[in-house]
Amino acid sequence: MRIPQWVIPTLVILCAVLGIGGARLLAVPSVVKEYSAAPAAHPRTTLLVVSGVKCVDTAERAANQLKDLPGVLRFAAYASRNRVEVTFDPDRVGVQDIREAIEGPVYDEGTQETQFHVFQVLEVDGLEVPTR
Amino acid sequence: MIKRLRTIFQAGVVLAAIVTGMRFAMGWSLTSVEKYCPFGGLETAYALLARKRFTCAAGELNLGLFVALILLAVLARKAFCGWACPLGAVFEWTGRLGRKVFGRESYQGLWDIPPKVDATLKIVLRLAVVAAVLAATWATGELVFRGYDPYYVLFSANGHDVRTWSYAILGALFLLGALVPLAWCKYLCPLGAALWPFSAAGRIRLRRHGELCTGCGSCDDACPQALAVSSVPEVRSGECTLCLECTAACPTGGALELHLTGVRP
Repeated sequence: MRIPQWVIPTLVILCAVLGIGGARLLAVPSVVKEYSAAPAAHPRTTLLVVSGVKCVDTAERAANQLKDLPGVLRFAAYASRNRVEVTFDPDRVGVQDIREAIEGPVYDEGTQETQFHVFQVLEVDGLEVPTR
Repeated sequence: MIKRLRTIFQAGVVLAAIVTGMRFAMGWSLTSVEKYCPFGGLETAYALLARKRFTCAAGELNLGLFVALILLAVLARKAFCGWACPLGAVFEWTGRLGRKVFGRESYQGLWDIPPKVDATLKIVLRLAVVAAVLAATWATGELVFRGYDPYYVLFSANGHDVRTWSYAILGALFLLGALVPLAWCKYLCPLGAALWPFSAAGRIRLRRHGELCTGCGSCDDACPQALAVSSVPEVRSGECTLCLECTAACPTGGALELHLTGVRP
């Protein structure tokens, strides 16, 4: 069947729309950590956009920032979109505590050095937050 | 008209890639150019299947674009390469420049590569690149190809893992691209190799109507992939990007037409 030439650029555009738009359906976390905190009666999940969480390694490091924070139950990072989901017990810890822990100094076991300003929270639950 | 439209497409994607890279490098955006590389989708496929997570900085956008590209290739062959690949556009312009500088009439390149050698190189070299990149990525869990990837080196604005030798490789590829147009795309591009089986089976093809064709060879000279359009009734090569340069160059204006094969009117 003969087809007009404009079909080709149209298909290319549709491919881009499908690829970019449909990508969210394929999302899986880059890193997931379950912490050994006591179960919460009413757990809450907050969604953060964190500058510095950009690959599996950096997501692991961000997860380590929360390992000693009481009340944090689960950490899931979608590194390619710089997104972090933290599930926590609101009776024991707040979003502000989580933000402070993530943005705190990072100890690098490889170089045995402490690094500052590695992570910066830019958004909390879809709202931009002032950077420090 | 279609030629101008394609130039607008190509200029648009190149500009978008440059702006994305610059914005990321300046800290104005969190989105790096590598997030739009469809080959990243294939690089991360093993980690996704085996460990249920993405490799390094690759993510769902890479995978989504790769899946969409396969669907596109099944229908419209390597239209992505000819219309929407920023690296393909830059190398095509380089080949055009080389064609002017060296006074050639076609995109055949400085050397006359025999068709059999050309076909063998396209398969062997590209498969070797795909195998090496995937093996290294899957073994290390890192996007090890970054420093060698001309797309990343060119558009990331001196991104992570880009070294001095990365620019040396990019320069060598540009020089090669001027001597042998689209040498990267034809002989080295791993994405091109991954898409090839789907593209070869692609349903939209160019058909040449023998009764209208004068055999002038303008289509052969215009084809950036240096395909012999004038000597086949239907362009079945998996390398055809449906750029439609051949139809624009055809003086009869009807000897070459697009057909959806396997579907009767």
